[in-house]
Amino acid sequence: MTTFLRRGLFLTLALALLGGAGCAKKTDESTPSDELALTAQEQQAARQISDGVVYFEYDRYDLKSESKAVLTKNAPVIKQYPGLRVTIEGHCDERGTEEYNLALGERRARAAYEFLLSLGVSPGQLEMISYGKLHPAVEGHNESAWAKNRRDEFRVFKPRR
Amino acid sequence: MPLFLPRRKIPPLALLFLLILPSPGAAAPLMGYIEGAGKNTVTVTQAAPFGGSSRAADLQRAVSGNLALLPFVEEIDARGVPGGAAVEAPGGQGLTFERFVLAGVNLLITANWVDGGHVEMRCFSAGEGRFLFGNRYTVAPGQEGLRDMADKFCANFLDAVIGNGAFFRSNLAFIRTAGPRKKDVWVMRPNGRFLRRVTNIPGEALSPAWSPDGRFVLFTHIDARTHALGVWDSGRRTVQRIKFPGNTVIGPAFMPDNRVAVSLTDGRNPSIFLLNHLFQKDRKLDDSLSIDVSPSVDASGTRMAFTSNRHGNPHIFLKDLRTGTVTRVTSAGRYNTDPSISPDGTVVVFARRDSGGHRIYAYDLVTNQERQISFGPGSDEQPEFAPDGYFVTFMSTRSGQKRIYVITRHGGAAKLLPTGQGDASFPAWGPAARG
Repeated sequence: MTTFLRRGLFLTLALALLGGAGCAKKTDESTPSDELALTAQEQQAARQISDGVVYFEYDRYDLKSESKAVLTKNAPVIKQYPGLRVTIEGHCDERGTEEYNLALGERRARAAYEFLLSLGVSPGQLEMISYGKLHPAVEGHNESAWAKNRRDEFRVFKPRR
Repeated sequence: MPLFLPRRKIPPLALLFLLILPSPGAAAPLMGYIEGAGKNTVTVTQAAPFGGSSRAADLQRAVSGNLALLPFVEEIDARGVPGGAAVEAPGGQGLTFERFVLAGVNLLITANWVDGGHVEMRCFSAGEGRFLFGNRYTVAPGQEGLRDMADKFCANFLDAVIGNGAFFRSNLAFIRTAGPRKKDVWVMRPNGRFLRRVTNIPGEALSPAWSPDGRFVLFTHIDARTHALGVWDSGRRTVQRIKFPGNTVIGPAFMPDNRVAVSLTDGRNPSIFLLNHLFQKDRKLDDSLSIDVSPSVDASGTRMAFTSNRHGNPHIFLKDLRTGTVTRVTSAGRYNTDPSISPDGTVVVFARRDSGGHRIYAYDLVTNQERQISFGPGSDEQPEFAPDGYFVTFMSTRSGQKRIYVITRHGGAAKLLPTGQGDASFPAWGPAARG
């Protein structure tokens, strides 16, 4: 048996084990059923956090001063509600290509994540995900639309423990 | 099936290279009649079939449909040739070519139906009156039998003219949009046959990549909260999602030994990692403080093209996986992404952004020359070499929707591939079935 065939067989067996026996990394979908309803106070906090969208320059992922001000204002709110979790979503405008934009969106989410950590927010309250250019906030093919789409959004939820 | 042996064997790759792509030192006996305007096009015509089978017209249509996908082929309706489509004989001494030459035909195809289930197909160089190739095909009943036969003939046609018929023997995976935040992996032959959805899970699939044996397709999968490495197993007909720490999975690519190169994050930035056969992190394939994405590895597993912004803007780089040496490929332009390296490791195609959108370029790693091979309009992205190293598929918005087109590594007229309804993107070629 050639090396290639042996490796192909090994891959097949490995995938069979992953699929049949289950694997720590094999995941189920996260659904709203994973989340608890927010109290009125938590809803108010979530609104403030979610409203604090931060924006970026083209092909950049460094936080602008106004973005830092928004995050500085919201960090205490996040800390005040340790039962809440915040997903930082990194987004890009339509001009780049999909895969590079996924990486750029990750860097944008990470920029906000690390700044919030520096302000004392627990990493256990934060998640990151990049959507690249998959989910524009604004439709359009001009700088006005692009500027609104190069952003971090903050989605707040309360996970079941 | 017994082959009608050519009177003169055409060397692999020779004919089309002679017709279209002359290289220094190559003999060029066929060059003359396609110099000047249209030199990148081969004109083909199908003569009226012999034998009178009721299936003959359907077979001609199926062959025409396939030839219409080839960027360098222009089919001439034989009925427009002076004297009409009928020929004196399907081959041999009785066949004359002068009127086809006068009509500008380069290649003449004849069909001789022996009975309803067998047909002899021949292809001739009209200008030289030379027999190029021929075969006797068994045609199974029904339209699918005809389409099977047309695919076999057109694969043989490409075997003869470019030395590789993989185009009509390979599967193409791609991403099709099903609705808001729902994208699935689909698979088909490049002519649209066997079109089928192979994943149907909530979320968005991107960047499919075939395993070398054609059994698996990996892809990036993004749902409401997570990135994952998706795995479609064509043998078991299952789909799995495998998550990684850091929650970033971008652009997987199989290595020739079935290991996987993929961009993950290690807490600093997306970097290209090598995964072992259990999809566990083995090691970084390149260590930088920049964004590194979109690995593409040649068939030998020794050369990896990728995108990096290590010098500020995204550019294409090449890593020698034996020595670890990284060289910068692109220097022109400010935004070069989506590399795909040819199986023989000599050419990288990629997308370059300009004021009108992205365009596809081909960079010759031997001569260090690059040339633009797509010209829009709209945006042309995600180029992908076919396994023959000759055809290049890409996604374009030129029609106003995302669709998949094919050109050659030298450009040519972009031909639309029939992917059905819905935006289509990320074409990815599987290995060729045996001819």
